Formats: sequence, C-alpha cells, structure tokens
Amino acid sequence: MHSDRGTSRRVPTGLILGVVLVALAFTVRALSPAFAGWGLPDRAQDTITLALSVIIESAPFVFLGILLSTVVQVWLPHGFLTRFLPRQPVLRRASISLLGMFFPVCECGNVPLARGFMVGGFTVPESITFLLAAPILNPVTIITTHQAFGFSDGILITRIVAGFVIANVIGWLFSRHPDPDSLLTRTFSASCAVPEATGRDGAGEDGAGHEGHGHTHGRRPGRIERSVDLFTRETAVIMPALFLGSLVAALTQVFVPRSVLLALGSNPVWSVLAMMALAFIVAVCSNVDAFFVLSFGSTFMPGGIASFLTFGAIIDVKMLALMRTTFTTRTLVQITALVALMSAAAGLLVNYVA
Amino acid sequence: MSRENTSLPDPSRRDTVSGYLAERWRGIGLSLVIVVATIWLGVTGQLGLYIHPRYFVFTTIMAVLGLAFVVASFVYRSPAAGQPEPAGRPSAGRRTLMLGGSALLLAIAAVTVLALPPATLTSATATQREVNSGGLDSEAASSDAAALVGTGDYERLSVKEWVSLLAQSEDPALYADKTAKITGFVLPDSADPENIFYVARFVVTCCAVDAQPIGVAVYQPGWQADYDTDDWVQVTGAFVSNPSARSADTLAVLPATIEPVDQPSDPYVY
Repeated sequence: MHSDRGTSRRVPTGLILGVVLVALAFTVRALSPAFAGWGLPDRAQDTITLALSVIIESAPFVFLGILLSTVVQVWLPHGFLTRFLPRQPVLRRASISLLGMFFPVCECGNVPLARGFMVGGFTVPESITFLLAAPILNPVTIITTHQAFGFSDGILITRIVAGFVIANVIGWLFSRHPDPDSLLTRTFSASCAVPEATGRDGAGEDGAGHEGHGHTHGRRPGRIERSVDLFTRETAVIMPALFLGSLVAALTQVFVPRSVLLALGSNPVWSVLAMMALAFIVAVCSNVDAFFVLSFGSTFMPGGIASFLTFGAIIDVKMLALMRTTFTTRTLVQITALVALMSAAAGLLVNYVA
Repeated sequence: MSRENTSLPDPSRRDTVSGYLAERWRGIGLSLVIVVATIWLGVTGQLGLYIHPRYFVFTTIMAVLGLAFVVASFVYRSPAAGQPEPAGRPSAGRRTLMLGGSALLLAIAAVTVLALPPATLTSATATQREVNSGGLDSEAASSDAAALVGTGDYERLSVKEWVSLLAQSEDPALYADKTAKITGFVLPDSADPENIFYVARFVVTCCAVDAQPIGVAVYQPGWQADYDTDDWVQVTGAFVSNPSARSADTLAVLPATIEPVDQPSDPYVY
C-alpha cells in the first residue's frame, strides 16, 4: 500500500519504534500493580476512577467517529454526501438532522464526524445541525429510550421531536449569521481549508504552501497514508479535550453532592432545572442515558426526565470540552443557552400539559 | 522523519517540527495510553471496574483498531497534508506553551492510566450520592427478586434484590422469617454513623461515572471498632424494626455474623 519506494527505508524504523513503545506501555501496565500501596486519598482515587471510566467509555466512540469521518473525507468521492441532499436550505438541514440514523456513533464520536462533514463540504450551520440532532435522532438512542420508557408520559415522543426542533431551529439561526466561519476556532478553520486543497485530487500538495517542496514533490499520498494522517491529526485535537473534559466531569462528581439535586424532584419547574443540571454534570452517553434516568423515574416528574434526555444528550461538561476543539467559546455559550431554553420548554410542556 | 531532517536548517521548518510534535504526538500518545490500558483491563478481566459489560466487546474491538492506527502512525510519519497554515498559526511562545502543556498532560495521563492500580469506587463517592435514591430499574429488579422469593431461598437474594423488595414494602411481618446473606462494602449511615452501616454496592448503567449507591442497613453499635469504611463484608442476619431512632430506614439487619471478604472481581451490580 505504501506506494513510496523512495522512502521505504523509514518504514521498518517507524514500525519498530511503534511496536517498542506499545510493548513498553504494556510492560509498565502489567508490572505496576506490584506497587499497589500508592495510598491515594479516597477522593483523589475516585476522581481518577471516574475520569478513567468516562475516557474508557468514550474513547471507542471517538475512534469510531474518527474512522467514519475518515471514510467521508478520504474514501468516499468528494461531495458524495452532499450530492443526495436537497438544495433548499431548510429541507437540507432537516435531512442532515436525520443523518444520525446512518451514523449511530455516540455523541462524543459525533464531534470528529461533524468536523469531517465540514471538511467534506457541509456549511458550518449544517454541521451544527448534525451535531445537535445526531445524539438523539439515531436508532440506538431511540431504541434504548423506548426500552426504558415505552410510550409512557410522552417522554419518547418529546425527546425525538425536541431533538429535531432544537437542531433545526439552532441550525436555522446560525444560517443567518453573516460570517459562519467566525463561529469556528481559528485552528480548525485553518485546517479545514488545507485538506480541501491537498487531499482528494492530489493536486494540492503544492497548495499547502511550503510543505510541498522536497523529494516528495508531486507524490500523492495513498489513501491509507491519508487515513492514518487524519487519525493522527484528529486524535491530537480530540483526545486532550476528552481527557480534560472527563477530568472536569469526574471532579464535579466527587465534589458536588448529588442529593442537592434530588431534593428538587417533585416540583414541576425545579424538577426540570434540576434534571438539566444533573444531565450536565453526569455526562452520560445519549445512547444509554434513558436507562440511567429511568432509575430516577420515581423521584422526578416526567417533564424533568424529558429535559434530561433532551438537554443531556446534546450538552454536558465533556461535550463542551470536545466541541471547544472546533467552535469558539462564544458560539458554545449561544448554543448551550438555546438548547437549555428549548429543553426546559419541552420539559415544562410535558409537566403542565401532558 | 528523513524529510524533516533534511530541511532542518530552515528555521521555519524547525518551527514546523516542534509544532508537528506538539500537535500530533499528544493525540497518538494519549490514544496509545488509553488503548493499552483498555486492552490490558480487558485481558485481565477488569474492564468491569469502569464500564458496563454490554460495552466490553465493542470497547475491546475499537481499542485493538485504535492500537493498529497508533502503530500505523509511527510508520507513516508524513508531515504532509493539513499542517496548520499561517492564518491559524499561533505565535512561537504559544507553541512552546502548547508543547509543554501537551507533554504535561501526556505525562500525567501515562502515570495515572498506566501506573496506578485499577480501583473500584469508594465510599467517598457514595456519600455524595444519596444511598437508595436511584439506580434500580424497580420493575425489572423487583420481578427478579419476587421470583427468587418464590423459591424460598432468601440467602440467594443480593443487596440489589433486597433493596428493591424493601422499596416496595417495609412491612416487618413480610421479612419476619427471612434471613439475609449479603455481600457489599461498608458505608456508614449519614444519619446514625455510630450504630448503622450499609452493606452497599454501586449500580452502574453505563460507566462508573453514573454509579448509584444502594445498600441494606445493618444495625451494629460500635461497628467501627472492627471494620473500616470501604471494607468488603458478608453479613448474615434477620431483618428487624430498626432500633436506631435517627436512621431513616424502617428495617435493618441485625447481624448474626459479619465476615470480612475479598472485594469481588465484579464489584458493581447492573
């Protein structure tokens, strides 16, 4: 697969280096239980356990998201996805909000995927629509929510409808933004522009400016090489965010008593706000949050649960850290506020009307 | 690598090399750390300390795939496509800062993830989350429990099953002739820590971060002399009306025996 005969000398070196490092990591891991007496204080120990559990839980989905994003960017023909979408903006975003049906990655995997979509030709608002809709409008989430709640109290329907409406309304609002690129972090909009020039048609190696000189001039990197390159670049951005986001989630868990929130369960307004706060700090994946919240079903009113399932699927501490890799803080504050308001409205509607 | 080496004399290229290290190896490094830890936990049967069993297969497969990409990224070390271009390029000072920050994060991650022994959650987390305030899918759990009650073999009921039974009824008559034999960790009752402790477990729905503590109250004044919080014990005894005035539980187990046991390999319940 490595078509580059001229540089084949480096292949064994890299392979050996990689294998040695992996072996070293395994050795350290296998030998370290021997020093069991680290004697960390309980809270420090639990912070590590909690953070690690979020990372171990999310990392596979992040990898899956990156792989799917790679398929979109490297293996599918350019514009393959956009080709089948309606041109009319509202219909187009509505279709995009259903794309999660075909990419059932968890919410953390949606971030690299949304980044890939933007590189692959989606506009910024379209990508936001996908990012907000996909955690809820995907088969796994819908099935697990149905398993947990059936059709009782309109929780499932509220979740699906609210997810669709929130994503499309926010997508529409941002589509009216005069300069959508300014919603993105500078690093991401820069890296967005480059693969467009370099990647697909192979003509772009020069388009990347000074990178193109040297003896690889004119050589088009193979698809596998580009896939690995994409993996390297995406993990460089996403993994630190995942580690830091998980650490924040864990610290919140250890230091904020959950009982404070549970005391608020039976009031129609407070149950909604408390459950949204809980969703924000618990940062549980949208694919299974229905099972988690089911256990609070006796404590909280249905509207609180509906808001938990809507807000928590889209926004939580870990997700904000992940999305910050791509969007500016200002954008995220706006998105969070809008999602919170609309989720609260959905919850209150369930509590007072349904 | 050969490419960078040959172009090192150019100062702007050197800048690219440090940026290359900062922006790429931190992702590969963190991925390496987490996939190695995941695979090792999977092989040694300890993944259950962190995530729900329904993810074991998926998580392990993705970790192996991730490992393949990590190794592959050492093979294809081309700094070619997609390096941040001048427009998005931070200043040299910021790049040094980023390089330092990445190195620090990687070092901390490597030590905590690869060197620390895996651990279950402790009572420190349980006290932040009210005991028996959630975590049980009451219908499913209590129908399991009811099935076991039907067999008359009460000693087979677990903490989870007793808790779901108690959630349904706290009528002392119902528990009068039943002996519990339950295993869990010692968690002091916040209302009456001198006399009451819970034999507790964590219920996990997704991963340890959503763990909810559940437990059966045990009445044993002065228990602290013999047991520490977080010790794993097996308690055998009958249910009585809780003698403690301060405890919120109506019923408690009056222990006939309390035996220290090893922490089970699957400390959580699902």
